[in-house]
Amino acid sequence: MNLSETVNTGYFFGLVPLLVFFPIAGMLFNMIFGGKMSEKAIGTVASAASGLTFVVAVLLAYSLSATHGELHQVFLAEWIHIGELQLDWTFRVDTLSVVMMLVVSGVGTLIHIYAIGYMHEDVRFKDDVRRFRRFFVFLNLFIAMMMILVSGDSYLMLFVGWEGVGLCSFLLIGFWYDFNILGQKSTENAEAGKKAFIANRVGDFGFLLAMFTTFWHFGSLQFDAVFESASHHPDPVVISAITLFMLIGVTGKSAQVPLYVWLPDAMAGPTPVSALIHAATMVTAGVYLVVRSAPLYNLVHSTSYIVAMIGAVTALFAATIAVGQYDIKKVLAYSTISQLGFMVAAVGMGAYVAGIFHLATHAFFKALLFLSAGSIILGMERGHHHLAHGHGDHDDADAHHDEEVFDPGDMRNMGNLRKQMPVTFWLYMAGTLALAGIFPFAGFWSKDEILLDAKLHAEHYPGVYWLLAAAAFLTAFYMGRQIWMVFFGKERTEVAKHAQESPPVMTVPLMVLAFLAVFGGALNLPGSHALTHWLEHTIEGVHAGEFDFMVAGVSTVLALIAIGISWLLYGKNPLKAGQIDPLKKPLGFVFTGMENKWFVDEGYGAVIIRPFEKLAKFLSIDLDWNFWHDWFHNEVVYAGFQGLAKFLADPVDMGIINAIADWLAEITKRSSEKLSSLQNGFVRSYALSVLVGVVMILGYLLLK
Amino acid sequence: MTTMQVLFLFFAAIILGSAIKVVTTKKMIHAAFWLVVALFGIAALYAMLNAGFLAMVQIVVYVGAIAILFIFAVMLTRKELLDKGAALNNNKTIAALISLVFFGGLLLLLTNWSGFTKMAPDLPEGDMVAKLGEALVTPNAYLLPFEVASVLLLAALIGAVYVANEARSE
Amino acid sequence: MNQADFYSLLPIIVLTTWSALLLIVDLFIDDKKKGITAVLAAAGLALTMGLTLSQTGQTVIGFNGMVILDGFSTFVNTLLLFSGLMAISVAYGYIKRRGIERGEYYSLILFSIVGMMLMAQARDLIVVFIALEMLSIPLYVLAAIDNSNAKSEEAGIKYFLLGAFSGGFVVYGVALVFGATGSTAFAEIAASIATGNAETLLVLAGAALILVGFGFKVGAVPFQMWTPDVYEGAPTSVTAFMAAGAKIAGFSALMRVFATAFPDIAVDIAPVLAVIAALTMIVGNVAAIAQKNIKRMLAYSSIAHAGYILMAFAAFANPALRDDAISAGIFYLVAYAITSFGTWAIVISLEKEDGKGLAIEDYAGLGRTKPLMAAAMTIFMLSLTGIPPTLGLIGKLYLFRVVVEAQFMWLALIGILTSLISAYYYLRVIVIMYMKEGEPETVSESWLTFTWGAMAVLTVVLSLIPASLFAWASGALMK
Repeated sequence: MNLSETVNTGYFFGLVPLLVFFPIAGMLFNMIFGGKMSEKAIGTVASAASGLTFVVAVLLAYSLSATHGELHQVFLAEWIHIGELQLDWTFRVDTLSVVMMLVVSGVGTLIHIYAIGYMHEDVRFKDDVRRFRRFFVFLNLFIAMMMILVSGDSYLMLFVGWEGVGLCSFLLIGFWYDFNILGQKSTENAEAGKKAFIANRVGDFGFLLAMFTTFWHFGSLQFDAVFESASHHPDPVVISAITLFMLIGVTGKSAQVPLYVWLPDAMAGPTPVSALIHAATMVTAGVYLVVRSAPLYNLVHSTSYIVAMIGAVTALFAATIAVGQYDIKKVLAYSTISQLGFMVAAVGMGAYVAGIFHLATHAFFKALLFLSAGSIILGMERGHHHLAHGHGDHDDADAHHDEEVFDPGDMRNMGNLRKQMPVTFWLYMAGTLALAGIFPFAGFWSKDEILLDAKLHAEHYPGVYWLLAAAAFLTAFYMGRQIWMVFFGKERTEVAKHAQESPPVMTVPLMVLAFLAVFGGALNLPGSHALTHWLEHTIEGVHAGEFDFMVAGVSTVLALIAIGISWLLYGKNPLKAGQIDPLKKPLGFVFTGMENKWFVDEGYGAVIIRPFEKLAKFLSIDLDWNFWHDWFHNEVVYAGFQGLAKFLADPVDMGIINAIADWLAEITKRSSEKLSSLQNGFVRSYALSVLVGVVMILGYLLLK
Repeated sequence: MTTMQVLFLFFAAIILGSAIKVVTTKKMIHAAFWLVVALFGIAALYAMLNAGFLAMVQIVVYVGAIAILFIFAVMLTRKELLDKGAALNNNKTIAALISLVFFGGLLLLLTNWSGFTKMAPDLPEGDMVAKLGEALVTPNAYLLPFEVASVLLLAALIGAVYVANEARSE
Repeated sequence: MNQADFYSLLPIIVLTTWSALLLIVDLFIDDKKKGITAVLAAAGLALTMGLTLSQTGQTVIGFNGMVILDGFSTFVNTLLLFSGLMAISVAYGYIKRRGIERGEYYSLILFSIVGMMLMAQARDLIVVFIALEMLSIPLYVLAAIDNSNAKSEEAGIKYFLLGAFSGGFVVYGVALVFGATGSTAFAEIAASIATGNAETLLVLAGAALILVGFGFKVGAVPFQMWTPDVYEGAPTSVTAFMAAGAKIAGFSALMRVFATAFPDIAVDIAPVLAVIAALTMIVGNVAAIAQKNIKRMLAYSSIAHAGYILMAFAAFANPALRDDAISAGIFYLVAYAITSFGTWAIVISLEKEDGKGLAIEDYAGLGRTKPLMAAAMTIFMLSLTGIPPTLGLIGKLYLFRVVVEAQFMWLALIGILTSLISAYYYLRVIVIMYMKEGEPETVSESWLTFTWGAMAVLTVVLSLIPASLFAWASGALMK
């Protein structure tokens, strides 16, 4: 906001606080005035706030490129100055944070615009139009928090944003807190929000421990200061501890094994939320954290290997679950976890550029896929309503009944939507090909770079390549399966026959995203390596890798084979209504496992939650109530005390203590009344009091 | 004893005597007149100190304006000029004590003052009143207090007019 | 008169001219439209505030050393002008409602502020005295402005008589100081004392008498007796202005005089001030408990707060701590001004036309009928007690820190104990608002709502970022 500086230097670094200010302003504006504004106006304000943030990010990127990517720190205000802890609100503008800003605000703005159309219908299907405004207030708040997260110059400021986005995520998952995902009245969505919050809390606890350890040993939380002290620190155990604690935070926020379980449930939020928060931006915060802390991770190989393995295992594990899902958004959710696994694996191996590159392209195509899925779901809802109204006149009860069981997101209810929703189909195709990693879509280049790095570093990080390659294969497979099930074959329900295409306010942002999903690879094409050169100003020791036809060829062939198999299974003989999945037979219990998410939730229930509840019950009922309260308190303490108390109460307490307390209270009250009675209202008395004061002061001073 | 000392004692006696009468007389109007006498006495003391202008001001302002204001106030607000209530109330002992102590303190203070044993500085040559007038309108001297005092009077004037005005009933 | 003279007093000159013109303009404003006068007066204050802020960071001595423009005066004047704006904001609807709306009301507020600002800039005892009268006389009249109401007139006359009485002590003190040092200018007084030319006893006595005058203005014990009567009798909007404005001016003059004119006798005066501070805190807080009328309770509360600020002067004895003491003091003044205006705005909202609705019991049920207003009141009460997250706490922390550093442990202890006592009557208001059943009637008037709303937000928000405000206050040092 330091405009004079901007004018003087010609650069825009002073504008960086606006990144936070614009969305906050948009939020406040809608909070205060939104009540009387039309939906269009509310949406416009929120989108404009987000759009202006994007403009600022672009200006920062321009300034940064004009100053050769040098780090700029912009001081806003003093924050905490206690003893050794000296923290300010300082914004950090470097090539890494600017990439994040661009992705977040760019994709964020498109999703804002999309959400105007989406929420317009959603609030009507759920019959509560007042929540339209609330949605955009939360969305703006999210952008602001995300900006704090990526632009902070210290771990604590990052943590503020980190917690802030967690809060927004919670609020938005439980946005329809009184519904379930099928639109029935229920508390399921609220519980999903709670689950996300608690899983993240476990991760945040790790992050907090990392910060405490950092401050304890390095005396600061400011990035440069921490890295500087860390590089001289003799004890690798400390740095291992910090990085491992941090990793717990990463597994929470970026939904990695073992804390990923919240993300699939988070699909309870409206689809724009799934796209923005749970695919494109917030969940990548963990990846950003690792890249930001690269100087720490570079110091300890063992932790980085753990990071890489966690990422790779997550990538494969989530991909297998995605294969067995029927809900269109659930498939995408597991796919997101899997892709986040790719990124985490990449940054774990020190391939920071590849990780960030995949983060950006993934933001494009996964947002595209989610939003298109949203468009499909709404299309199905429209068809459903259309039918319900058609039948409503003579078959009310039936229509009502129908409404309760119909799931617009279940792929088994779809089929041949290509015909009803052609625009969405083509957009979805673009996203799918990008995600499957088909040449020359964006995902091809970024995923390939990760695989290449995994191959190159195979001796230091054994096993990662194979896990990732298998995950890539499955990715192509489940996306193929989805395409065949949703868009091809025959309509499996009446509703699918009546599905309707979405309005331009939704499809136009999708087209922009599709463009990015197709051409996003240009960011870091082999040969030019634009992103690598951009990020090398910030991250030490990155270098452009060689393009390896072997790796690219293998992954492309794998992807094509996977799509081929999916065509054989789902495309050649389209699924019929009520038919079980063709994979079920050959894979048997393996597929049952996939279908049921490998029973991880149940496992957590059996291993952690139920024992925990039992323990809690034991502590509260048996230990606290029965033993402690009933027996110990009542029998031992109470009875024992009663005797003592009788003695203390009558002669001691009433006689002495109470008397003193009463006396104190009484004396205060009496003197209060006395003082008020001195206030007799006569000026002459008041004047006398003044004179008394004068005499006493003079007397003291003169006789001293 | 010089003539000046004799004159001083004479005026001092008048001032003190009339001041005592101011607080002891039962009739308000008499008290006001005794006040006039005391104020005249002070004017005389000023004159003896070569402060002719101050003596004039004392007479014009205090006798001419303030004392007369008292007299008018007394005459306009009382039907009977004799004050019937007791002149002293319960606080008299403590008030007397405090006043005595205060007086004693001042006495102690002033007896320790070196000014009594020093000669007064010589007054500058020339027309003192003209010099005083100049000082009041010179920025480097007392222009500011003088101007502020005029604003103060304006504010006081508005206030006086306002308070004295009957409450308007519309 | 050269340019520096003019520049040093530019905001005051502008405001004086503005108020004089306002008097004339007011004649042409219809009696039913006195709101225009209010707006014009506020515009004048805002303009002056702009000028004052534009002088930030400058130090100019004017009129041959009679006045000074420095960081301290800029800060205090800004605060005073803010108080003036708030005073107009709370008065705007209230005096209309009470049927005492006159154009003079606003002019008098402006004149009073001129006096207060001059007080903060004074560097000469004569100017101090005239400024004191300049700020007081409009206040006397304002207290009595509801001249159809005996209580208001009584308040005015009481205030006037006692004000004149204590004003007499100030003049006497000035005379003694002049007698001892041969000058009324701060710099020369300080130099004369430092070189040992002055009669120490006489200077001490003079300083003590001047202290009495300011002690009266800020309501320090034993010069506080007028406060409850006047606060109760005066129209509430005037009380609000008096509570903040007169206190700010009184304390700023006290700081200025004792820091620049009497630095070398501070060691002697500091114990006196410490005892006065202790007495003031005790009397103010203890007497407040018995009050049933909210205006009287707040009057005692204002006495108590004067006591807290006076604690800062205890630290004056130590030259190293003087700057800290001043910044802690003016920071507390900011906290008090904000909180107190908010509180008074709510009191005004509940006051009825016939002057009823002022008992603390009348606040019963406010938590249910007006949750926002009750929340704001809760914030103010917490702030006055010194409970987080409010500005009052931060102010007290800074003050106590200075007092402890100055080795006045017993004083800090009394401060803390009396704060505990004060919790009793402040929290009682909260308890009554939320726990008792009742149907309080409130007036909703947009400027009032704005005042308490904005003050509540400021009380909380500034307490979260106190460092920058405190940095400004610390920069506001005397030159």
